[in-house]
Amino acid sequence: MYTLPQLIEEDIQRIVAALKAFNILADATATLVIDKGGFLITHAGDPGDLDLTTIAALASGAFMANQTIAGLVNEKNFNSTYQQGEQFSLFIINIDDHCMLVVIFKSQSGVGVVKYYAESTVNKIAQQLIVAQKRDPGKGFNLSELNVADPQEMFRKKD
Amino acid sequence: MAIINQATKELQVKIVYYGPAMGGKTTNLVQVHDHVQTVAGNKGKLVSLATSSDRTLFFDFLPIEAMTIKGFKTKFQLYTVPGQVIYNTTRQLVLRGVDGIVFVADSQYEKMPENVESFQNLVDNLNTLKINLAEIPYVLQYNKRDLPNAAPMEYMEYLLNNREVQVPSFGASAHKCEGVFESLNMITRMLLQKFISQSTPQLA
Repeated sequence: MYTLPQLIEEDIQRIVAALKAFNILADATATLVIDKGGFLITHAGDPGDLDLTTIAALASGAFMANQTIAGLVNEKNFNSTYQQGEQFSLFIINIDDHCMLVVIFKSQSGVGVVKYYAESTVNKIAQQLIVAQKRDPGKGFNLSELNVADPQEMFRKKD
Repeated sequence: MAIINQATKELQVKIVYYGPAMGGKTTNLVQVHDHVQTVAGNKGKLVSLATSSDRTLFFDFLPIEAMTIKGFKTKFQLYTVPGQVIYNTTRQLVLRGVDGIVFVADSQYEKMPENVESFQNLVDNLNTLKINLAEIPYVLQYNKRDLPNAAPMEYMEYLLNNREVQVPSFGASAHKCEGVFESLNMITRMLLQKFISQSTPQLA
């Protein structure tokens, strides 16, 4: 079954450090690491009022749809998409089987520099994910401590 | 798989509304969006990728934040799939990373073949993702109970809930918001109980 490696806070810190360094080099506004199921894992930069949760869900869907189209035309070497905008542009690149990197950058910045620095950043993140994968896979977080009192009432309807 | 983000103290869960075309999946999300009680800022925008005739083209997406449990914010991401048969590839994409499913069946007699076909399609698509239906929490919602040609609940149970382990099922009239929150709260309860008993979700 599809699964992310278990990440701990140290992993997240290292990934965020890589993202911050990338943002400076590539002059990116915000950079996200997202899971292919559409979850936002972490991000760096100043997204302002951008809705990162929704961007993560849509970027995941868009990337996967493009990847599927690429497969249908027998293109096996697909690993990124680029959306050119007037204000902001978006570059999405595959990290590994489970995650991808989403870069939001001002359109006057060149996509070339984003692509160039994204390569090494993706490698750093992928390496950290391998480290996480090799860590004790059985070591999990004990959810029983969460003590869910009454999930029946988790969502209430307005009167 | 659900993600627990220890750095931000968040639990993220993906629930997918599945079922035949025009069965009321999008209506469920619209009703949740319109009627859910949340603290300000805890309900995201409902995003619909639909055709000009309001048929779901890719998916609908609604992020909601529920109560905080022991310091963890619980974020639910609700998705629908397009019900039309031709969009099967899209349904497979949306199912990726799913944690729980609400199967929205259409109660009208003439829709029974479509209900059965859609349920089998769900099983097949889960199999392509190497997920067994028995491993994933799901509930059945028999929608459009208010229509005069609705089949009896017992008949729908026989058609769709006739497996070794029966799952919770609800009658609903989604456009009146009846049965919508009951289904959502039940799948939520099943998911959290599963996570608690397994205690092996993804950490981030």
